[in-house]
Amino acid sequence: MSTTPKPDAADGIAPGGATRGSDRPTFWGRLTHAGPYRAVTDFVFASTRRQFILLAALPIVWVLFAHLGPILQMIRVSFLDSYPPAVGYTPQFTLDNWASFFKESIFIKPFFRTLMFSLSLTFATLVLIYPVAYFLARHVKRDNQMLLLLMLLIPFWVGEIVRTYAIMILLGNTGAVNLILKTLGLIDRPIPFMFTGFSLSFGIVYLTSLYMLMPLYSALEKIPPTYTEAAADLGAGAWTRFRRVTLPLSLEGISSGCTLVFLISTGLYATPILLGGPSTTLFSQTIAGFFHVAGDKWPTGAAFSTIMLLTALILSGTFMKLIGSLTRGPQK
Amino acid sequence: MTRNTRILMSIVYWAFVVYLFVPLLLMVLMGFKDSNFIGFPIKSWTLDWYIGVFKDSEVVSVFLYSTVIAVTSTLISLTIGTWISVLLAGRSFFGRIIIFGLTILPAVIPGIISAISFRIFANLLGIQTGMFAIIWAHAVHNVPFVVLVVMARLATLPKSHTEAAMDLGADKIVSFFRVTLPYLKPALIGAGVFCMLLSFDDFVRSFFLGGYKPTLPVLIFSKLRSGMSPEINAIATVVLVMTAVMGIWAERSMRRMGKGT
Repeated sequence: MSTTPKPDAADGIAPGGATRGSDRPTFWGRLTHAGPYRAVTDFVFASTRRQFILLAALPIVWVLFAHLGPILQMIRVSFLDSYPPAVGYTPQFTLDNWASFFKESIFIKPFFRTLMFSLSLTFATLVLIYPVAYFLARHVKRDNQMLLLLMLLIPFWVGEIVRTYAIMILLGNTGAVNLILKTLGLIDRPIPFMFTGFSLSFGIVYLTSLYMLMPLYSALEKIPPTYTEAAADLGAGAWTRFRRVTLPLSLEGISSGCTLVFLISTGLYATPILLGGPSTTLFSQTIAGFFHVAGDKWPTGAAFSTIMLLTALILSGTFMKLIGSLTRGPQK
Repeated sequence: MTRNTRILMSIVYWAFVVYLFVPLLLMVLMGFKDSNFIGFPIKSWTLDWYIGVFKDSEVVSVFLYSTVIAVTSTLISLTIGTWISVLLAGRSFFGRIIIFGLTILPAVIPGIISAISFRIFANLLGIQTGMFAIIWAHAVHNVPFVVLVVMARLATLPKSHTEAAMDLGADKIVSFFRVTLPYLKPALIGAGVFCMLLSFDDFVRSFFLGGYKPTLPVLIFSKLRSGMSPEINAIATVVLVMTAVMGIWAERSMRRMGKGT
């Protein structure tokens, strides 16, 4: 695609709006010579301040209203004693919704289970995906890298529900894994994989692994092979080269990959319903429960969502800071 | 890197490829099973489930409904996202970093919390659950991705291009539409398809903001809750194939962008 303005880019911009070889002005020519357009642009372009205000107005309103608004309203509702407001009743300020989180173990348990699940699965994904990303970035020819990446991206584009369903078929009592084990004579009765912590973890890793691969791959791909070669010339063994050269240089990828996977796995809702069982209830299910029942439970749900959001953001923020300080540390 | 670790890593890589693809392949295969019962082994095969999908007027109408939502929300995201990118790229002003942070915010909020906050906000604004609410939530959720892609592309636009247009007499608006926008085309195609896929496959926002009419993932979900059937496999496979084709097309468009112009 050519990006340089075509020779006739000045069509109609030239005085009179006439173009070479044609007397009819183009759309842009007519537009820029129209009275109202001129009046508006003359006014706007008269000062850079006006231009800036006009350009910035929509983005500022949009991010404040559409991006920040829902979160602020959620936090506000979490302090109200009833919402959506009943007719003729003004909701009062209360801390009860927040307090109820700390009172009941049926709320605290799923909360910590979610954190434990997400943290350990993030770590497991990192350990699993690092060699994959390394192999792809360092041992595959440039031309093939794109092809292999594209191949891995296809399952990634398919949504949460379809991929969760695929896992259900794989791990079910009459699923492929049980069939293979049975044919091999290793088991007599199917192993109940489904609706356990195992099936849920398997599914979550399946959903999130690509979010780990992409940042790791792009970090590893940027490291020049000469760095490790130089280290080898200086007598560093394979392990030392990895620990002193490759790992420190891929920290940025580790940081963004882990943050992505952690935030996504805390926010999954359909997957724990479909793959998990009663002993693996996650906090997203607890939160959603408040919105399926009568409206007066909404504030509690809002408070719990806020607790989850703050915890997730503080944890990932701290983690990124920590990695950031590590990246800067050894170079000094 | 020693030979052994290299072999080990290639095994891990191919094991990962198998891990990613086998569940989906099994799901596709199961859609051809000539029985109502989901499970292996598959003894006889049929195309009836696929024919059924295209004959089922509910599935077809839900499919169109999801498509309308995906296209509309994508157009909104692209417009707003490009506007924000033009503001943020190549300009420094007080509060720029704050606007950038707020722009990225929807991308880092865990799915369920994002859905809940939209549900509460929709209630505040008096928006009924249904198509409009879903379009709005998807549009907001997708803006950060558009901004990241478009800003990366804008950063590579040589200043001389727009300056040349201005020298030739174009004002800023004309130079945006005739120089900057054509330059952004591959980024907009890539980001647009990505947004459409995100919207089309989104479950949690569509679930909490949807009215009586389900989107495709919500329909699959509710069918799944009432029992597995090869019919679901057939629907899911159609979604899979469409998604893959669109994804590959977008990826190619983005790749051309990576190769320069």
